[in-house]
Amino acid sequence: MGLAQNIVFGLVTGSYIAIAAIGFTLIYGIVDMINFAYGEYLTIGAFVGFLAAGLLPLPAAVLVAMVGGGVVSLALAWLFFTPINETGPVPMLLTSIGLGLVLRNVIRIFAGGSARYYDTTTETFRTQGIPEVPVGSFDLVGDVYVTSEHLVVVGCAVAVFLVIHGLLTRTDVGIAMRAMGDSEDLARVRGIDTQFIRNSVWILAGVLAGLAGVLVGIQTNVNVTTGYAHILQILAAAILGGAGSPYGAIAGAYVIGIVVALSTAFLPSHMTGLSSAMAFVVLVAVLLVKPSGIAGAEVREA
Amino acid sequence: MVQRNTSSVGRRTFLKLTGGAGLAATAGCLGLGGDGDGGPIVFGQPASVTGDWDFLQPGVSQATDVALDHINEAGGPLGRELQVERRDTTVDPQEARTVTQQLIENDDAVAILGLFSSEINPLWDFIQEQETPVVTPWPGSSFLDTRGGDMGTPDDVSDDEWVWRTVIGDTVHTSGAAFRALDQGHDTLGIINGTAEGARSWVEGFRTAYEANGGTVATQIEVNLGESSYQSALERLFNEDFSAFAVSMPLESATTLMSDWADGGYGRQPILSDPLAQNDLAEQVGSDLNGAWAASPGQAGPSFDSFVETYEEGGDAELNGWTPPAWDAMNVTALAVHRAGEATPEAVQRNLGPVSRGPGTEVTTFEEGMNALDDGDEINYQGAATPTTFTDFGNVLGPVVVSEAQDGEFSELEVIPAEDLTDFVPEGEY
Repeated sequence: MGLAQNIVFGLVTGSYIAIAAIGFTLIYGIVDMINFAYGEYLTIGAFVGFLAAGLLPLPAAVLVAMVGGGVVSLALAWLFFTPINETGPVPMLLTSIGLGLVLRNVIRIFAGGSARYYDTTTETFRTQGIPEVPVGSFDLVGDVYVTSEHLVVVGCAVAVFLVIHGLLTRTDVGIAMRAMGDSEDLARVRGIDTQFIRNSVWILAGVLAGLAGVLVGIQTNVNVTTGYAHILQILAAAILGGAGSPYGAIAGAYVIGIVVALSTAFLPSHMTGLSSAMAFVVLVAVLLVKPSGIAGAEVREA
Repeated sequence: MVQRNTSSVGRRTFLKLTGGAGLAATAGCLGLGGDGDGGPIVFGQPASVTGDWDFLQPGVSQATDVALDHINEAGGPLGRELQVERRDTTVDPQEARTVTQQLIENDDAVAILGLFSSEINPLWDFIQEQETPVVTPWPGSSFLDTRGGDMGTPDDVSDDEWVWRTVIGDTVHTSGAAFRALDQGHDTLGIINGTAEGARSWVEGFRTAYEANGGTVATQIEVNLGESSYQSALERLFNEDFSAFAVSMPLESATTLMSDWADGGYGRQPILSDPLAQNDLAEQVGSDLNGAWAASPGQAGPSFDSFVETYEEGGDAELNGWTPPAWDAMNVTALAVHRAGEATPEAVQRNLGPVSRGPGTEVTTFEEGMNALDDGDEINYQGAATPTTFTDFGNVLGPVVVSEAQDGEFSELEVIPAEDLTDFVPEGEY
């Protein structure tokens, strides 16, 4: 059993989570709400991508899913969240829980409970000749393999990180987002159209959810719980990284991905079912030591 | 005085009439009319319309519906219309508890024709309290091996445990899987299973039979359901030395796991739990799955061929291992109502044994059984999945079918007769 191979698996899992966690944490930092319906945004993206993939090549279907995710996210925000912007984070949190439940059941009514599968093929690439460095029954290095799916997921994640970094540091909208994240009142005083920025954040979060939904759908399947099954990991990554910080969310996602992979590899065999729970053990431990999370944003304000 | 008296009597009369009418109306609403005298008889069907096991429900629903049509076309039990109320439990024990209560109390169901192992085991005491027979095509759990049925004393319900299953238990077909694994020379195995009760139960039965007959389990890995990747778990599993590995989890998670297995090129012989003998799995994983096999409850009861003919007229749902048992559950329960002469839960419970295990005329449909009973004969229902001869614990025995994946679909490879598995399933313990 190779440590290096498990780190590869952890990086792939972390990449799915990171893409979604960026969207989730942007909503938290700028709109000031924890959006529990965000898992359903992934599900919607996965379904839109699946339908589009029946008509278009997969890369085009991914773009359709991202656009669809953005449009749906903005529409849902206008219908359910913008009208209660001023009520504070708790009513918005409760609204999002209710919205998530409704969306899940609406999807179930229209799509049914069965799973759908993207028609993809996977190639596997293996290294050869990397020496093993055994420690007990484990190898620290050794040969590893990656699949074309792994490369696509990690590649998409890296592209998203670069685009988000460019957006937040090089564009007026991105700089305004950061300003709003620090203080909405001061941003408004400085002439920033805060509602426009909120709308931009909803669209961006929806686009990222659409992409993450398709990637998860390709790896597993598309069903009514595709996104809901991952919402706790996304939430944990965002909080671990420092809620509101996209860079922290990326770091948090990879910590969680790697902890889950290594827990599966190294926990006693009768405890491997607890590997997902280990991510939350790490979350609790980090918050006890550093309540503001990895990137330093204060969580307890929520 | 007279006036007062008259007035008083009038008010009392009015109150009595109003109260009586109200009570009658309430009783009607609540269904306190007992088994009625000509109204429809209701069977309740808790179902997996959604959830991890929803892919199995279409076949079971179709079998139930065609059985219902045939029973009603024959005149219905006691000459009354039979209805089936189907409610979704998502195979969640808490939801199953609510649904079962609704079916019994709101829908007046005289029998419950459903519930999975994952629901029955945690709700065992609750089910006993309902004192309504559960005749289910679903559960394989070894928990039921020595629980349920009428203990061989149909007239005495005091020792009854109210659960009957028309599908052979995991103990039988997991024994079949263990028997075949050993027969193929796989002396050491790895096991990977999900955390669901049904998945664990399959592994428990398989592992017990395998180890009791000389096999060795190198390692067993348990994983959460619905994960986006099982590669770490597979990497760990295949770090051990074995020639074959057993997989037990619901279809969607198993598809992810087996796709990861194929991508990782881990090889070795896959042995699948019976719910995984689905063409969807073979199609999604592709040719890497060729040669994987599963041992499932046999679909070779005495009336299987005529059942299939009828079933195919009812729709195009894929026939699975739980489909013929669903047909048997409907027929044997309807016959129990007819033999009882009344439609109450206790009467059904008293008659399930006699219509299935008696020495009477062998019948394969409700109509045949109804006519024989009307002629004063005793009957023995011969089912589609198995002979439906209930043991004292409400279980049935039957052959085990081995199916193998080849080029995107599963096909029958061999049948292991029930007699070959007697070493694995001792008499009196099933």
